[in-house]
Amino acid sequence: ALGVWRTQIRDTHQRASLFSFWELLPTRAEPLRKKKKVDPKKDQAVKERLKKRIRKLEKATQELIPIEDFITPAKLLDKARQRPQVELSFEESERRALLLKKWSLYKQQEHERERDAIRALVAAQQEALQELQLESPELYSEAIKRDPGLFPFEKEGPHYTPPVADYQPPEGRYNDITKVYTQVEFKR
Amino acid sequence: MAAPVRHVVLGATGVWRRLERPWASSLCSRSLTLAALPSRTKSPWRLWGALCLQRPPLISKPLTPLQEEMAALLQQVETEKSLYSDHELRALGEAQQLAKKRADLHEEEDEPGILLVPDLEEMWEQAFLRFRPGARTTEADEKNDRTSLHRKLDRSLVLLVREKLGGQDVWMLPQAEWQPGETLRGTAERTLATLSGNSMEAKFLGNAPCGHYKFKFPQAVRTESNLGAKVFFFKALLLAGDFPQAGEEARHVWVSKEELGDYLSPRYLAQVRRFLLDL
Repeated sequence: ALGVWRTQIRDTHQRASLFSFWELLPTRAEPLRKKKKVDPKKDQAVKERLKKRIRKLEKATQELIPIEDFITPAKLLDKARQRPQVELSFEESERRALLLKKWSLYKQQEHERERDAIRALVAAQQEALQELQLESPELYSEAIKRDPGLFPFEKEGPHYTPPVADYQPPEGRYNDITKVYTQVEFKR
Repeated sequence: MAAPVRHVVLGATGVWRRLERPWASSLCSRSLTLAALPSRTKSPWRLWGALCLQRPPLISKPLTPLQEEMAALLQQVETEKSLYSDHELRALGEAQQLAKKRADLHEEEDEPGILLVPDLEEMWEQAFLRFRPGARTTEADEKNDRTSLHRKLDRSLVLLVREKLGGQDVWMLPQAEWQPGETLRGTAERTLATLSGNSMEAKFLGNAPCGHYKFKFPQAVRTESNLGAKVFFFKALLLAGDFPQAGEEARHVWVSKEELGDYLSPRYLAQVRRFLLDL
């Protein structure tokens, strides 16, 4: 009788916002949906099916880290890159064959010399250890023990020229562009 | 030179208390102390621990003619079996272009600013020549200054010292008498410390001796319980540092295997040569 407008104005001091009048009016045309009990189960079933599919895909394609050395880059398969076949003359091939024979003989002799040298070293050490054992068994047992501080032993080998004193390396930044892969393990 | 029997017995009782603390703290096999009683009461030989300190080679040896030939052959075969690199392709392309230009136009229009392959190669060659590498034969080589470490960079050098033995000056590897309560390797490390005073860093190659030398004292000094001595050598590689400069009267020398004969007595030399690698 008073009218909807007036009834709304009555309790404006208690409302949260001035627009709460329009919020109260239903503006949607659809009827409200009621939640059924079967829906969560259906949702779960759908999720599980998706997870199974993901697992199957994971099983099939276990992506391994590619070995860069085994993959020839495409630009090296170009025919223009291939050198013309060199035909060796008879003298050249003879020279190569004889040189290889001399080299194999030299390497064999070098190997024998190294082997004999190592044998002599070991024999000298064994004699020294025997003498030590005759002297005192405790010192002998101490000498036989492994030295845990010996390995890992790193040393830079001989180069062609000795290091230059007061060497100033050229200035510049070093951009490391190596690709670092991490293997993804799929756990069951 | 007290009789070793008495010396050892005294050492044993006093050493027990000294040993308990280090034994508890350092149980690794690198410990220089022994927990057990040394039972050397009846041995007439005295023990000495010696140090074979080697400076490893800094540069590689020069190649023999056969090795040079083989290296050249391997390089040749490698280039024959290889593919053209980017630089070589560019050089081939430019050579072809030049040939075309000369055949077609007879006008050599050199566009300034573009670097051709020969120019690039010349630039690289100049940069290479500007670099001065270290000399393979040093001053010390020329002067034959044997006390210097910068001599014979392609060989390994061994340290020899001059000590007074029975009134005479004798060249030998640095050594010290073994004291009860330490391992022989500990004796060698003690020798290194007394020699250099912590200016030399060395890496010892294991607990076992690499060689030994047995000698009897001259008749005058020999007694029943004091026949002679056994010297045990321990190898070490010199990592850093040098002998503190002794000046004119240097009592040490860095020597390669061939030069050992100039200093050591024949029997001693024979034993020492056994455990030194000739390379």
